[in-house]
Amino acid sequence: MSEPLYQLVYYSRNAIRGDETAFAKAIAAILTASRRNNPLVGITGALLFNAGCFAQVLEGSLDAVEATFERIQQDERHGDVSLLALEPIAARSFSNWAMGFVGHSRENADRFAAIGLDSGFDPERLGGQRIHEILRELVIQEEVVAA
Amino acid sequence: MTALDSVSANTHLQRSAEDLLENLAHPVLLVGEDGKVEYANIAGQACLGGWILGLCFQDLFPDHLETLSISTLAREPFVLVSRTHIRFRALIGSVTRGAVLLSLFPDTSQAPALSSEGDELTGLLKRRDMNDRLDQVLSANSNSVAVHCLDLDRFKVVNDTLGHGVGDLLLRKVADRLRTACRKEDHIARVGGDEFIVVQTSVADAKDAERLASRLVDLIGRTYVLSGHTVNIGVSIGVALGEGCVVGRDLLRNGDLALYEAKRAGRGRFRVFEPGMDAALRERRELEIELRRALALKQFEVHYQPFVDLSSDRVIGFEALVRWNHPTRGRISPADFIPLAEETGLINKIGEWVLRTACTTAAGWADDLTVAVNISPVQFKADTLVDSIVSALGQAGLPPHRLEIEITESALLDNTDSVLRTLHALRNLGVQISMDDFGTGYSSLSYLQKFPFHKIKIDRSFVQSAEAGSDSEAILRAIAGLGVSLGMAITAEGVETIEQLERIRSEHCTYVQGYFTGRPVPADRINSFLSP
Repeated sequence: MSEPLYQLVYYSRNAIRGDETAFAKAIAAILTASRRNNPLVGITGALLFNAGCFAQVLEGSLDAVEATFERIQQDERHGDVSLLALEPIAARSFSNWAMGFVGHSRENADRFAAIGLDSGFDPERLGGQRIHEILRELVIQEEVVAA
Repeated sequence: MTALDSVSANTHLQRSAEDLLENLAHPVLLVGEDGKVEYANIAGQACLGGWILGLCFQDLFPDHLETLSISTLAREPFVLVSRTHIRFRALIGSVTRGAVLLSLFPDTSQAPALSSEGDELTGLLKRRDMNDRLDQVLSANSNSVAVHCLDLDRFKVVNDTLGHGVGDLLLRKVADRLRTACRKEDHIARVGGDEFIVVQTSVADAKDAERLASRLVDLIGRTYVLSGHTVNIGVSIGVALGEGCVVGRDLLRNGDLALYEAKRAGRGRFRVFEPGMDAALRERRELEIELRRALALKQFEVHYQPFVDLSSDRVIGFEALVRWNHPTRGRISPADFIPLAEETGLINKIGEWVLRTACTTAAGWADDLTVAVNISPVQFKADTLVDSIVSALGQAGLPPHRLEIEITESALLDNTDSVLRTLHALRNLGVQISMDDFGTGYSSLSYLQKFPFHKIKIDRSFVQSAEAGSDSEAILRAIAGLGVSLGMAITAEGVETIEQLERIRSEHCTYVQGYFTGRPVPADRINSFLSP
């Protein structure tokens, strides 16, 4: 693909209402939909989540990144979406699309461990760029706020 | 063994399967991973304009902005409008990795209106069709209908700064978000450049309508990414509930009234119509008409209130204050008409008249007296302020240093840089500049740092409640101290008693203004202050 690559980074308040089962169900649904949709349009990246928020790095062509972001904006499960970066990148930081739990909650870490393993989520990959580090810290803060 | 396997095992059957597909009555398209049409059956080619193999999906369905697979796999079935203006309900299936199979069913339910008269840009209804639909749903059950009148905030700025191309993309995405938020029985129309109307059906109660309005405010206010630009707009919404109203026109008018209130309340929000809004707006319209008439008939008058130098106890100037003498209603307070004048832009003309009148009057005073004139934030937004002031000074023959203009903090809130440029231009002319009502608004100290004001006027509320040892006294003392440090004179406003005057004196204020040292008087009574 010769189209220029872009990276979009955002975080949003988790607006999933309901109990833990509803939350786990919604997370599973996001994983299924994203795994189906993202490879089709060449989107890679990572979704970090906890009970407080979502944060995502999206990489791909500008069209694909914009369309994916628009879909997120229309999704009720996200509230208060803050766009942190939209910029061209030389190369992808992520080879596929993955999601994983990031936070202190032991319970949630156990509950969602399988999703991380299953999708190839590697928190270490988030250390590569400053913006990714910032994102990770924000996610952890938001978990505390929600708790 | 699956059905497909058995088909591919038999060439005879396979051919007939292809024939079946080819001759299906509804269009079927196969769109490859690259977004190009790889196959179209006969019905597909006929509906979509002949030889379409190899064309991009987006070319065939120009209103569909997103990449096919992304938007459509998630929600199904969905609506597609072709370049040939046919509206389809589409179902999608995934054949191989990346390729999708589209089945299209002409959507005859809305076809006549949309195929010929829908809004080309967004695919939404136009006003006339929306009116028809509204009357239909109202006559069926008006209690289950709500109308939402939407007006985008800051759309013009996007259009002006990023161009019409991006503006159009934005309108399409707004339309898309509206579709997402509404149910398919609802009717959505674009009725102006950036105005939309949603006719909500199946509304159980007011809460239902408020929920949709609040969702629309949230959804449309979320950040857009358009051709690599990050764009933020908002929306103001007026909601009107059917509630026995059977005439669409009335309901839309109520929605518009509520929209007006939503904008007045600060935009980016919704308001539900209430019967009182009607009367309130009518009253304001009347006042506006009378305000215009007053301007033409010169029913305004300028009064002058002295301010006194505390070091010499002498009057050193007057603040010009506008008065409206209404022929039947009597004197109308500036607090009642200035906000409306600002809202309607009439303040520009009124303000200019006050400025010219005050300069002319002051030119007849002794050489050491200044005149202070209030300038509204709205006047700062006009490019002509400096020119007006130069011309007023010139015509009156008043030296610039004898004019003082008073601005409030709110003038500095928007477009701070352009306002500061204007202030510097005026200062360079020699005009004196003071900060009015200090302490009531944001009281941001950074404004004092951004511009070397000649004078700070402390709001009357601090003067009048400044009992010894009170918080107000502490604030008064702090602001006075600030003035001394920054080299700005301090005027204490609203002084009404000898006790207040004595306290002000002890707090190192420079000037004082208030009923105690002199009430506002017409121009012809000024001499009484000067020769007591």
